[in-house]
Amino acid sequence: MEQEAEDMVQDVFTTFLQRLDSFEGRSQLRTWLFGILHRKAMERRREAIRDDRMDPIDDVFESRFDSNGNWTRPPADLERLLLSKEIGETIRACMEGLPVKQRSAFVLQEIEELSTGEMCKILDVSVTNLGVLLFRARARLRECLEGKGFTK
Amino acid sequence: MTISCKNVAKLLLSEQLQSQKWWKRMEVRLHLSMCDLCSRLARQIKQLRAGARTMSTQAEPDSELEERLIRKISGQ
Repeated sequence: MEQEAEDMVQDVFTTFLQRLDSFEGRSQLRTWLFGILHRKAMERRREAIRDDRMDPIDDVFESRFDSNGNWTRPPADLERLLLSKEIGETIRACMEGLPVKQRSAFVLQEIEELSTGEMCKILDVSVTNLGVLLFRARARLRECLEGKGFTK
Repeated sequence: MTISCKNVAKLLLSEQLQSQKWWKRMEVRLHLSMCDLCSRLARQIKQLRAGARTMSTQAEPDSELEERLIRKISGQ
């Protein structure tokens, strides 16, 4: 997997070096690089053709509430996990289970702290779709962390 | 409460609270001040963010990676 990631970075930089002249601003460059990296990751996973209108995580989310929108299965207490030293490792493992688009959205938002506009450009989605991606990414990560048995 | 837990959870998880009208944000804030379960979710989302950032700083870059990439890109 490390080798694959390295090949991908190499690919991105080769393309970047070939087109270096056409860049004006730093923000534009960052958006472009992340965009290429995201598309390469999609290609590797061959997820682009997948229909992402439906996602089983939506049903999992729905199943936590009654018809009035009250919690029936409230969020478990994750204090112990979230304070533990293994938190980084655990989140990394859970992120592996995210579809590429959701993972990219989560990383760009939480780790890279990009603006909504930049994220929409990179992922080629509308603001509404970005919200759906972030919602699903977080809902999935939460379920995964709960499933790791760290709950009280 | 006028806004349901489910709608609060949706807004929190999709990070769309900031784009809501002021009265909606107020409604959510009021809900969170009274609802322990939704507050727990809000806290978890913050912790998940902190955890993800910890993860990214923990991942030490391979010291030889830069050199290997330069070698590959320059075709050596």
